[in-house]
This record gives sequence, C-alpha cells and structure tokens, in this order.
Amino acid sequence: MTALTADRAAPAVRRSRRNRLAAMLPAVVVGLPLILFVLFPLAHILGRSFSTPDGFGLANYAAMLGNERFLRITWNSFAVTLVSAAVAIVMAYAFAYAVQRSTMPLRNLFRMIAVLPLFAPSLVQAQGLVLLFGRNGLINRSFGLGIDLYGYWGIVIASVLYVFPYAFLILSAALAVADARIYESAEMLGASKWRAFRTVTLPATRYGLAAAIFVCFTLVITDFGNPMVIGGDYTVLASEVYNQVIGQANFEMGTVIGMVLLIPAAIAAMVEKRVSAKQYALISDHSRPLVPQKDRLRDLALLAVAVLISAAILSIVLVVVFASFVHLWPYRMTFSLRHYAFDVQNGIQPLWNSIYVSVMAAGIGVVAVTAAAYVIEKFPSPAARGLYFLSILPAAVPGMVLGLGYILAFNSPSNPVYAIYGTLVIIAIANVYYYHAHGFLISGTSIKQISGRFDEASATLGGSRRQTFAKVTLPLLFPTLVGIAVFFFMRSMVTLSAVIFLITPNTQVAAVSVLYLQDRGATNQAAAFSVCIIATIMAVLLAVRLLLNAMGHRNVSLIR
Amino acid sequence: MRGARRLVHRHIEGSRVTLALSHVTKRFGNTVALDDISLTIERGEFICFLGPSGCGKTTLLRIIAGLELAEEGTVTLEDRDLSEVPARHRNFGVVFQSYSLFPNMTAARNVGYGLECRGRPRAEIEARAAEMLRIVALSDHAHKLPSQLSGGQQQRVALARALAPDPEVLLLDEPLSALDAKVRESLRLEIRDLQRRLGITTIMVTHDQEEALTMADRIVVMDTGRIAQIGTARELYDRPASRFVAEFIGRMNVLPVAGGRLAGLPLALPQGATLIGIRPEDVRLHAGEGPAGRAILPARLTNTIYLGNLAHLVLSVEGIEHEIVAEVPGHACKAIADAPQIGLELPAETIKVLA
Repeated sequence: MTALTADRAAPAVRRSRRNRLAAMLPAVVVGLPLILFVLFPLAHILGRSFSTPDGFGLANYAAMLGNERFLRITWNSFAVTLVSAAVAIVMAYAFAYAVQRSTMPLRNLFRMIAVLPLFAPSLVQAQGLVLLFGRNGLINRSFGLGIDLYGYWGIVIASVLYVFPYAFLILSAALAVADARIYESAEMLGASKWRAFRTVTLPATRYGLAAAIFVCFTLVITDFGNPMVIGGDYTVLASEVYNQVIGQANFEMGTVIGMVLLIPAAIAAMVEKRVSAKQYALISDHSRPLVPQKDRLRDLALLAVAVLISAAILSIVLVVVFASFVHLWPYRMTFSLRHYAFDVQNGIQPLWNSIYVSVMAAGIGVVAVTAAAYVIEKFPSPAARGLYFLSILPAAVPGMVLGLGYILAFNSPSNPVYAIYGTLVIIAIANVYYYHAHGFLISGTSIKQISGRFDEASATLGGSRRQTFAKVTLPLLFPTLVGIAVFFFMRSMVTLSAVIFLITPNTQVAAVSVLYLQDRGATNQAAAFSVCIIATIMAVLLAVRLLLNAMGHRNVSLIR
Repeated sequence: MRGARRLVHRHIEGSRVTLALSHVTKRFGNTVALDDISLTIERGEFICFLGPSGCGKTTLLRIIAGLELAEEGTVTLEDRDLSEVPARHRNFGVVFQSYSLFPNMTAARNVGYGLECRGRPRAEIEARAAEMLRIVALSDHAHKLPSQLSGGQQQRVALARALAPDPEVLLLDEPLSALDAKVRESLRLEIRDLQRRLGITTIMVTHDQEEALTMADRIVVMDTGRIAQIGTARELYDRPASRFVAEFIGRMNVLPVAGGRLAGLPLALPQGATLIGIRPEDVRLHAGEGPAGRAILPARLTNTIYLGNLAHLVLSVEGIEHEIVAEVPGHACKAIADAPQIGLELPAETIKVLA
C-alpha cells in the first residue's frame, strides 16, 4: 500500500507508463517460442531461396519462371485446387444443410460419418481410391474394366474427399445457428422456400462459406500425400517440393517452390481469418433458434445426397479396413491378420512414435496456445498485437514449408535446438506450431467468453490475478483445454506434411509409414497402419468423451 | 472480529462523509463519458445513480469500484485517495447486472470466495458463507450451482457474495433489471431492508425511476455525463431543477410561457420565466366554465386513456401548441368527458418554473 503515499502530481501518467512496460513482458515471453519455431525457420526458407552459387540473388526464381515444366506444375496445382475446392464446398454445404436444417432420419450418424476421415491419415483417400479403382483395384478386377484413375481426376477425387470434413465442420457451424424470426418474416412476406434460402440462408452463411472455401483451397494446394499416391505422372507444387528436396536434395529449388506455395496459402489463410471473425456477429441475444420443419420432398432429396456422400466416404475407409485383413490384395482375398504382425522395417514402432509425438504435441500445444490467448486477452499492449499475428501466422504456412524451414534452421550443431533435432520432440514441436493458429483461436474464443465479467467479479471480491486464474478461469476453461488437446492429438496422429522432412529412420511416424509402404506397393501393410491410426484416435476420443461425461461436461465438441 | 472493530472505527470518525468524488472526468476516445463529477456520500446512505442509458452512470460506478480509471479527478474513502488502489484492494462489494456468479462453484463457495481470496481459515469462510446465505434466506440452496437457481435466487447469492467480506461500500449495477416484475418488487424491499440493517453505504445504478424513488435516500440524476440534480425523491419530484429532470422523473406537462402569460392568461411567475411545468395530477379540471374569479382556460378533450383507478385526459387549449395531460380519478373521467365545456385550471402553487 505504499503507492497510497506516493506523489500525487501525475499518478495516472506514471502508472500507465510503468504498466505498459510491465504489460509487454508476458507477450514477449510467450512470443519467443513462436519467433524461434515459426519466424526463424521461415526466415531461413526465404534466405535460402535467394542463395545461389554466385551469392545472393534472384537466380533461383528466374530459373524457375523460365522453366516450362515448373509453369505447367503450377498450372496443375491450381487446376486441381480450384476444381476440388469448388466440388467439396457444394457437397459439404448440401451435407451440412441436410444435417442441420432438415428432419431426415439418422442425422447424428451422418454427422459422424462426415468427420470420420479426420481420424485417418491424410492420404487415406488416395489409398482407398487405389484399392477401389487402381490397376489392381476391386472394381477393375471384379468387372474386368480398365478404369485409369491415376492422374488429374484421381487427385481431384481424393482431394475432394480429403477436404470434405473440414468444409463440413465450418459450414455445419455456420448453419447451426439461425434466427427463426427472420424465416417467419420471410414466409409472412410471401417468400417461397427457395427464395428464403437464397435471400436468408445463403447470406447468413456467407462468412462460413468464404471461410470454408479458403480452408479447402489451402488444404488442397499444400497437400502432397494424395498426389504422391494417386497422381501418377501428374505433378503438383506440393509433390514437387518433396521431389526436389528428398529426391534430388535440391534445397534451393525446394525453398523457391515452397515460397511460391506459401503465397496463395498465406493470402487464403489471411482472408479466411478476417472473414470467419464476422460469422458470430450475426446472432443477437433476442434470436429464437430455428427448428427445422418437416418437408418430405426436401428431406428425401437431402437424404439421398447424404447417403451418396456417406457411401463414398465409408467405402474409402471400409476398403482400407478390408484390405488390412486380407491375405494378399487382390490375389488372395482370404481373412488374415498377418499384416498386423508388422514384420516391416521398424515393426510397430512408428505407431508408438506417433502416439508419443501426439501426446507431446497435445501437452505442449495446450500450454502454448492457451498462454498466447490468455496473454493477449489480459495484457493488451502493442506486443500482444504482435503475438496475435505470430499466433495465427502458421495458418498461412504449408506444413512442408514449415518442415523444410526446420531442416534449414535447426540442422546445424551451432543452433541450440540441434539438441532435439532428429528426435520425436522436434516432430511434436513442428506439429504444435503447424496447428497453432487453429488451437489458438479455439482457446481465444473460450477465454473471451469466460473472461471479462468473472474477472471483474473476482477482482472486486479481492481475488488476485493468480487466484482468479486458478479458481475461476482454469476450471471454466478445462473442457475447452481438453478439446484443444484432443485436436492436437488427432492432427498429429494423421498429418504428413509438417513431419515428412523431419523424420529419421528411428523417428518415423505411422502416417509416414503408410506413405512409404503404399509407395513401394505394400498395400496391405499400409492399410493395416491406417487402421491402427484410426483405431487409436477413436479409442482416445471415446476415452476422453467418457471422462468428460463423468465429470459433467457433456456439451464439449471434441472434433474440430 | 475484524468487522466489529471497523464498526467502532466508523463511529469515532468525525465527518459523516465516507465516499467523495471530486472532478471525476472520463473520456472514451472523443466522447466525454463523465464530465467533472463531484459528489459526497454519507455513511450508511443509499444513493441511486439514475439516468437514461448512455448517461455515464455505470461508468461512474465502475470508476468507484476501481474497474475503470478516471482520467482526471479523485475518489476518496474516509479521506484516503483510492486512485492508486486496484479494485481487489478496495474492499468494495459489487453486484453486477448479470450476477457474474462463478458457474463452477456452489452458492456457498461463491459467497465464501471473497474470504477465500483473503486467505481466511476454512472454518471462518464456511461459517460466514452459511451466515450470509441465511440472511438472504437461501440456506437450503447452499450446495446448488448457479445454473440450478432461479434468477431471483442467483441475485440474492450475488448480494450475499458481495456482502460476505464486510465491504466498506456496496455497489449495485442495475441489480434487478434482469428479473421479472414480481421478483423485482420483493427484492427491492429485501435489499433496502438488508442495507438498513447492516448500515452499509450503498450506491445503486438504475434507469428505472420507480426503483430509484422507492429505494434511495438520495438520487443523483445524470444526463450525458453530468449530474443534472441531486436530491431526495420528494425534492426531485416537487422541485425539478431542469426540464430533463422534470420529464425523466414522473410525468410533466412542459409549456413555454412569454411575458408571464400562458395563452393570454396571466400567471404569477417570477420575472423572465420562459418554461413552466405542471404535473398531470396537479391540473384541475372543471365540468363547465368552472368557478368565476379563478384563472381558467377553456379546453377541448382530444383523447381519454382509461387506466382503471386513474384516467389520463388529453386536452387541447386554444393558443397552446402542446396538448396538456390531466390525471383524474377513474370514476371522475366520465363526468368530464360528457361535459359540453371543460375548464382547465393550473393552480399557481403547483406550477414549477423550469427555465
């Protein structure tokens, strides 16, 4: 209480200046790891892309722009991405609409089917398609057809199915909230159902739509697992980065293409963040939730759409499960458990590695994103604005680019991070920062909701910041934190892109095993690994759900 | 007991003033939210900040609570400057509009939270929480979570929570606005009664004039960041200082006058009066021309609003632009409405000069 006796001449001014400096400190502390693990690797990528045998220059870029093959690959990437994103959005909108706005039966089941691919390694779509439509696929062999799926259409179909669940989640959230009064007004004013859809529903979900479009765009253009498996000779930017770096050890060209990949991804991510913040403002306190009414024709049509899409998703996943249990696809289709013996190089170790990495990423990720969101909410300062930017920056960075940055930045004994280079820890960290933006936004939304009023109530009752955090904020935040941990766990189990450049023979993870095994034709073992990943994630989800229910937190969404 | 000691301390103090605001000014960007507010509040007083939304009343309460900083001016408690004291060290109890009960804690833990933060022994915390819940008649609900309580019960828990640490001042931010009319009325009396029993200095923010009139010792009427008038309910109703206060508290016919005359009728007004007000219940109506020798204007009935026990008669008078509302007993309105001619009398002693 010595402050009470202090000079009163200009207390406000002095106080605020002191506070401003003190308030910067937490943001700086929490921001340092982001600078080290996001900004620093990106700077390395940028630097390397300009480094040529003759010193610093634009020669790499010039070489690439003058290269007819590179221009064709860029064109390929955009041709795949734009078409897949457009198709996926239309499908996901119809599916989300069916789940949220119709009275068709089994809506919860359809919702689960829609998100099922999130539990599988990110190349499962290509894997399933090859099993179904490949040269030795079920369809071609059963019916003696000669469908050739490898190439453009294979990538497009795999990509559509790959990004579908992400688009579904965003659009489903956008369609979940609606104000019944507006629909009643539209009806009273004589609007037909189609007109009400065009003039009320579509505009109300426009931000969700825009966000979904940009998310799909980013996911497809940066995905390399599916093009690797099903692309055949059709090369896209993401698979070219892999070829340049792993195939030819040409880091310069890899970084240059990475930079080219970074630009559209960054633009899309920035627009998406800007747009998705607006979705929430559309619902006011007085809104009355819309309850879908029965409409046989509409419900039947939507059910048909949902069944078709679900069939596509399920057939992909089920054929992978099926393939993991047959003796030798497609020659001896008898039941066998031999692929679960994992008599391949490293055996079952990659699955354990994946679990270690995912648990670590979950732990580190929760702390990192919550600390960032908490500091930004509680210690507003110019440094906090910088921290916000750093926190969502990773959304704009393709996983492969981040991974490549890690090689360039940390694969040198002079860097202290080298101590963990080549271990599972660096893989976990790469996953944490690759998925940082998404986790951060979940945590930030939650902290904002519970902050303000409870903080003030606690303060007026004499609670310090620490007491408020321990007694009020943390208990209220707990279910969200569990959700974020599950998010990091799930993504770390299935991702390829951020980790592909960081694995060593000893630290190989399961999703990469799927890619390698598939690549060298060990289809059955690849399928078995995929099934193990799916089973692990489902088991964890079930366990966490039961735990949360037992603790009384029933309304927590675990799948994001 | 600490509380008892403080009580003694309070009594030996010389001055009755406990909380003083002087020249408090607050800006949000370019808008002035509070403009040079000065005010003293006596010990044990119940003060209401009353005004329309946006008048700055909540901001002023938040500055007193320490949740917001004033750019200029000071808040002092018993001559101690509070400017440097953060909210959590002020020992002011606050009841928020939305209650802000901690949803993860039972009613009892919510009430004991303040003492918990002060590091008191568990036994004392539990005893105090039980005592406070008994005072607000919620002993049976001690182990319920806020979500299991009704709005009125939540509000009483919030009140008990604010009072549990024995605060110097109790601050209530529109505490009843989220409740339905019946609960609101009974809680009004309950809060007022509790405040008197504990003798705690209390400031309540409200936009509901009836709430202010029924609860407060003194009312501070605020308008666009300034204090329009301070006084008891009676003073504000009988002697409004301005048109704003006159129209905000109760109903008032506001009429412009020129040269001491209204529609040609000479009134006994002070020199230079330009605006007068008369309450609807003070307007006297006569069926017919009315008694001779008194200042009576001929009026025409344009509308009748029947309210049961009362009726509002809307009248127009030749030469007066605004219609005049008169309040009469419900049973009397028919006689006047049926009269061929209505005489409207403005008794001189009831006329209020507003400008």
